[in-house]
Amino acid sequence: MTSVNWTRDAAAHLLRRAGFGGAPSEIDALYAKGLEGAVSSLVDYESIDVASYESALAAKNYNILTTRGIQQWFLDRMAYSPRPLEEKMTYFWNLHWTSGIAKVRGVTLILNQNKTERQYALGKFDDLVVRISQDPAMLVWLDNWLSQAAHPNENYARELMELFTLGVDSGYTQDDVTQVARALTGWTLVRGSYTQTDNYNGATFQDNPAIHDNGAKTILGKTGNWNGAEAIDIILNWSDSRGTKSGRFLAAKLWSFFAYENPSDYVVGQLGAIYDSAGHSVREVVRAIFLSPEFYEAHTRKTWVRSPVEYAVAQVRMLEGTSDFSSAVNSLSAMGQILFNPEDAKGWDWGTSWMNTGTLFARASLSNTYATNRGSTGTRFDAGKLLAGKDASTADKVVDLVADRLNISEVPPDVRAAWIAYMNANDDGSRGAWTNTAANVDKKVRGLVHLMLTSPAFYLA
Amino acid sequence: MPLSRRDFLLRSAGFVSVSAMVPRWAVAGTRMFEESVGAEAASRTLVVLELMGGNDGLNTVIPYTDNAYAQVRSRIGIQAASVLQLSAKLGLNGMAVSGGTTPAMAGLKALWDKNRVAIVEGIGYPNSSLSHFSSRDIWHTADPTLAQRRGWLGRWADAAIGNSANPLSCVAISQSLPRTLLADNVSVPSFVDLATYAYRTDGAYPGDGKNQVNTFVAQSSDPYEIENTVSTISGLGKDAIASSDILQTVRSGYVAGGAYPSGSLGAGMLLIAQIINANVGARILYVTFGGFDNHADEDNTGPNGHNGLLLTVSESIKAFFDDLDAHGKSHDVLLMTWSEFGRRVQDNASRGTDHGTSAPHFVVGDAVNPGIYGDPPGLTSLDRNGNLTIQNDFRSYYGTVLSDWLKADSAAILGSGWPNLGFVNKAYI
Repeated sequence: MTSVNWTRDAAAHLLRRAGFGGAPSEIDALYAKGLEGAVSSLVDYESIDVASYESALAAKNYNILTTRGIQQWFLDRMAYSPRPLEEKMTYFWNLHWTSGIAKVRGVTLILNQNKTERQYALGKFDDLVVRISQDPAMLVWLDNWLSQAAHPNENYARELMELFTLGVDSGYTQDDVTQVARALTGWTLVRGSYTQTDNYNGATFQDNPAIHDNGAKTILGKTGNWNGAEAIDIILNWSDSRGTKSGRFLAAKLWSFFAYENPSDYVVGQLGAIYDSAGHSVREVVRAIFLSPEFYEAHTRKTWVRSPVEYAVAQVRMLEGTSDFSSAVNSLSAMGQILFNPEDAKGWDWGTSWMNTGTLFARASLSNTYATNRGSTGTRFDAGKLLAGKDASTADKVVDLVADRLNISEVPPDVRAAWIAYMNANDDGSRGAWTNTAANVDKKVRGLVHLMLTSPAFYLA
Repeated sequence: MPLSRRDFLLRSAGFVSVSAMVPRWAVAGTRMFEESVGAEAASRTLVVLELMGGNDGLNTVIPYTDNAYAQVRSRIGIQAASVLQLSAKLGLNGMAVSGGTTPAMAGLKALWDKNRVAIVEGIGYPNSSLSHFSSRDIWHTADPTLAQRRGWLGRWADAAIGNSANPLSCVAISQSLPRTLLADNVSVPSFVDLATYAYRTDGAYPGDGKNQVNTFVAQSSDPYEIENTVSTISGLGKDAIASSDILQTVRSGYVAGGAYPSGSLGAGMLLIAQIINANVGARILYVTFGGFDNHADEDNTGPNGHNGLLLTVSESIKAFFDDLDAHGKSHDVLLMTWSEFGRRVQDNASRGTDHGTSAPHFVVGDAVNPGIYGDPPGLTSLDRNGNLTIQNDFRSYYGTVLSDWLKADSAAILGSGWPNLGFVNKAYI
């Protein structure tokens, strides 16, 4: 049994994965807590007071009646909330099963789903699954609100097992899908103000016994007159000799999100056992991930490809920037991730599928707008502050300072050399010498930040 | 004449000397594709033009002798006198737009007169969704059940191009990636104009821009010795700059052989012609043009009225083929249009039309069997919503392009049972 080598770099890694990265002062503070204190400060986030942040957020007056407004609202939370893991977990659930605004056509329903994901983010998995299964946006997104005893709709029942709780290869059958769909009949909507040309805003959950199938159903080998909650209970407690299948499914997905994809059976089994012994607690699985030595190994670090959303948020947070996330929202489509509007129920693929030459330029364009914004509105940072109080007398010192700020110090020597050459370069490309003047900071430090934000190193968290 | 592989290599080699960068993917990707479909089909490009919002087919290809048309469209319909006749029953919208005298679809009529246009009537799918979003997704994926994740041409690209890594094999001139081109293994850049397909630098210090671009290439070139993911993305910046550089280069000094209209579609079609003439192995080029959701004032005479939109579409296509002719490329290019639905037969009270179902679409190029496929729309046998019935399933429309133009196994991409519509000339099949 190895133990965690708790270093400042380990703390920075933890903050990148459990949140969206942080300023040097945040990393220092996290490091000073020690491993268990640091993990607890992130995982047991209810003790962190958010009142002042919430009032600051409210004062920004994002128009949460529009898609654009709730995108800004969520991006702001990810960048500025004093509870990084609360927002990272909400983002995890967003990737896991968010419903698409294009079909749901109800901004308020999508916002409410996001709030539900946040409220139950680290609770008992069963509670969240029930809440999402009764969530109006989800009921529209996967059609369960249309499912009736006379003609059940299997869409949600299938995805509930395939995408959300068990996995396609877990061993359930088409019969199980059909039977779960029957159990879920009756979980529907009162449509509120919805009309064909309007949207579903105002729709509320209704458990309507008149359209529920009251016959006997056999789900994963268990027979009874199951309702939706009982079907979910059967699904989440479906076990083999190694424990619940839902525990291993969720553990693998959480590990893939926080550490790396395709974890070993050993890792999945260990985390699944914690899920089982802790009463299906998501919090205890996440805590165990962050306390595990494997999480801090070199092969775990710098392997996660930042999604467009994480990319936009991390650069603001790590440079202590100011943003209304307007430019980020404008870029989401070109970067390939329209927040709250995934293409389908599976959501976005992770990893290198985010990256192509077009999305790369879209990211670079966003960062260029950020790095070169010298105005008093929009997304911006204080270039001079990056060097304040530090020895910035030579190009290599500036490069190392900014690289450390962005947590990308470990790059190949050629890359560091290219950055240093850039800092020293005259406009005609000839070699000059960096001097720490306000004019040079405005020109070269902003240029360097843009370069570093568009380097392969920064695409990875 | 179709390009042989040898021609391709010669041309691209000559081109590379201009850009001073070796596009490793441009040659390798074409070779792989050529080996799978043969040299002639390997030189082909499909251009897809998406008319966003739901184009009103009844005011595009007009059943001008049908009395029912004059009745249901008494307010906003196209008078028989303003129709460019294609047959005894159908004609193209020939309305002039304010500020000009060109009939809206004179450009397409000119191409029709040269036997380069096929019109497929009544395209749609059963139980049409009247939602823009659902119907667009259905058209994008070629799957009314929406179970498919990838687009229909994304599935084609995965099968035909695979991991060629050519960043210009499929390109979308579009704000975001159209789902039609969503693939597992083929990376498809999307951009509205070349200004955004470039590494932008600090406008306050233009003199430092070249340093930044050079440094961007340098930092993207070194394979990082950490994990597989890193080496995959570390070369991307270099490919991006190389492909951007090629496009910017081919653009400078390009002499257009057609009169493209001003505006986004003309610019997009010009860019597509430039990409084709760059000989970089572009196979699918996709362009979007919006504004067709004409719920109100459809007949206004300005450029954004329906007639004005059709003028832009028609003139853009005409300019594009003139341009291809001037560059000797028409033989290698087929263009097809689509839109998420047609519009309601009966106009509404706002001089507009609501969401409908089937509509005619255009296939343009030397390779078409010219003519009209299907009957004039049946205006008196509507569904319960007052919409047209379907004559040709959109999967037949797609499948004919896949099998006869792209030489693909259309059943593997669309499922089987979709009749071939025969609008590709046998000499090309």
